[in-house]
Amino acid sequence: MEYASKHGDGIAFRTLTLQQLKDIHSASCRILDEVGVVVHHDEAVDLLKKGGAYIDSNGRTHIPEALIKRALHSAPSRITLYNRLGEPVIWMEKSNVHFGAGSDTLVYLDPFTGERRDWTTEEVAAAIRVVDALPQLDFVMSMGLLSDVDKRMINRIQYALMLKNSVKPQVVIAEDAPTVADITEMAAAAVGGREKLKNMPHFVLYCEPTSPLQLPFESVDKLLYAAENKIPVNFACGAVEGASTPVTVAGTVAQANAEALCGLVLHQLKNPGAPFLYGFGGSPLDMRTMVACYAVPEVLLLQGCVCDLSRFYSLPSWGYAGCSSSKDFDEQAITEATMFTVMGALQGCNLMHDVFYIESGRTGSLELLVLMDEVISRARHILKGVNTTPEYLAVEAVKRVGPGGNYMGDAHTAKHFREKWQPSLSDFSSYSSWEAAGSKSMRERIRERLRSIMEEHKPVPLAPEVEEKIDAVIKQAEDRLGIKL
Amino acid sequence: MASIRDLTEYVIQADIEKVKETTAALLAAGEDPLRLINEGLIPGINEVGERFKEGIMFVPEMMMSAQAMKAGVDLAKEKIEGVDIPTVGTVVIGTVAGDLHDIGKNLVSMMLDSSGFNVVDLGVDVPADKFVAAVKEHKASIVGLSALLTTTMPAMKEVIDALKESNLRDQVKVVIGGAPVTQAYADEIGADGYAPDAAIAVELCKKIA
Repeated sequence: MEYASKHGDGIAFRTLTLQQLKDIHSASCRILDEVGVVVHHDEAVDLLKKGGAYIDSNGRTHIPEALIKRALHSAPSRITLYNRLGEPVIWMEKSNVHFGAGSDTLVYLDPFTGERRDWTTEEVAAAIRVVDALPQLDFVMSMGLLSDVDKRMINRIQYALMLKNSVKPQVVIAEDAPTVADITEMAAAAVGGREKLKNMPHFVLYCEPTSPLQLPFESVDKLLYAAENKIPVNFACGAVEGASTPVTVAGTVAQANAEALCGLVLHQLKNPGAPFLYGFGGSPLDMRTMVACYAVPEVLLLQGCVCDLSRFYSLPSWGYAGCSSSKDFDEQAITEATMFTVMGALQGCNLMHDVFYIESGRTGSLELLVLMDEVISRARHILKGVNTTPEYLAVEAVKRVGPGGNYMGDAHTAKHFREKWQPSLSDFSSYSSWEAAGSKSMRERIRERLRSIMEEHKPVPLAPEVEEKIDAVIKQAEDRLGIKL
Repeated sequence: MASIRDLTEYVIQADIEKVKETTAALLAAGEDPLRLINEGLIPGINEVGERFKEGIMFVPEMMMSAQAMKAGVDLAKEKIEGVDIPTVGTVVIGTVAGDLHDIGKNLVSMMLDSSGFNVVDLGVDVPADKFVAAVKEHKASIVGLSALLTTTMPAMKEVIDALKESNLRDQVKVVIGGAPVTQAYADEIGADGYAPDAAIAVELCKKIA
């Protein structure tokens, strides 16, 4: 198996042994075979039945291991994502890591006033532009639920906002297949046609089962649409350990893996070779408060299992980073989000989302987002590992400088010092210089950065005719749904 | 010979077998079944409720204790056929049409049950007319509606409208919950209450029952 570091065997974080991976795979196969799943989609049941699944008298679908093996064989082990300009920017394979924001938070935490309120269209657009500007964020998501548009149009309008305010690839939530069709139409307009989009994907679709072991109609419908149109897609359960999945990490992984594999089987039956993204996440139920918590240590272990399993299966991996269960952008938020980001990087998760989530996904914090940009940069530097070639072992420089000398004036220092990690927010100045510059706390520096991005950053605009096409898709959807403005 | 006080302790320990065994033995010895329930089993679950409030016991333990209490109550009930066991109130609960999510709803359902409510759980993807029929049939005083999807939230309003059309709206309190649901939404659709989590849902139902 391959790990994150670029040098030698370098830096690696392994969660499971090969034997444990086999044990989990076997447990998941037993779940799909002995317990089965409930599939609320006729075409899907038909596909599974023809493929060799057994439908029992209670309507449960039991999936034999042979079907899983076939699906794992036909699914690609890597996916490239392209930005709106057609450049490859995300390579989901091996232990490559990429980070992005999250979707559909309910509450916008105003970074300048601290006020909590519903998201407006303008605030979501501004937040997407912030993600577009931050160099360590690789993809965008919808950030917040729009409170000022018709509920049925939220996902479509969010997508139009993503296209208009960022060139970065997206991970997309959609309520049903017709919504995905409209989103596909908008993406095709932006990148130069359906055929190009099919072969150079610009977005990933996020689908999920309803745990335990149910496949709702809309999710399956979207999954099949994605397979047909070669839209990269996941089938990622959001486990609530102790409620929707077993309370133990291993039990949750066994069940969530079964659900993901079940999605993969269906997906590959529909269109063998279509791109599938493997992964899932968890938020264990705190049994005292009955709140599902993000970013607790068990969840980081669970993600370690996801990453090891993805390499075991040779599938690209999907996960989480930079998020927290804290109610505010505070020390708890920073602790949890930083731990998740660093662990995710070491685990080598290919596509990590939810950077900027607080309150376990109910609230979005742009301050956390800006801080995580620097944390990701630190983590990425660690992943470079240690170069031990002769030039870097620097024996020649040691000879030149000799006992009692100083490396400051040596050519080797001048040649390599710029390779050192540099902060975008952290302050390394002396106390007196820091004081002279206004004694600004990290939080103040974060807000200044945010303010300047919000005032100055202009994403690469869409061509006017593309904007028109996107607006036309929105208009047609409104007409179809009978929405009067 | 075990005593009624032991029964209380076994409920707290959630020892179903011991509760059954002791209840059966006490009944065989001629103990009054209602006294077993009121002075043995219910004080056990009440103590569990107290310990839960203090943060000593957690929800899974509370549920196991509720199951133990039920096992005892069922045995005692067999001896007092025809006598009504009092409940706090009847709640009709379900996940609204188009939505299959039921983890939160089930949790509320179980916790209401553990707190002495008579719970009629209609399951998931429940159309408005089914809620109306259940309210009529079970003479419910509370209707609990759950939705996890923003797209199914409007179905909550449909249930409220259907209750109005059937002239049942004044007889029941409607409480709603689910991840995207807010107090503002409850106000908007004219629900009587909103609960952000299961424990608050139970408190709310106790208050308005």
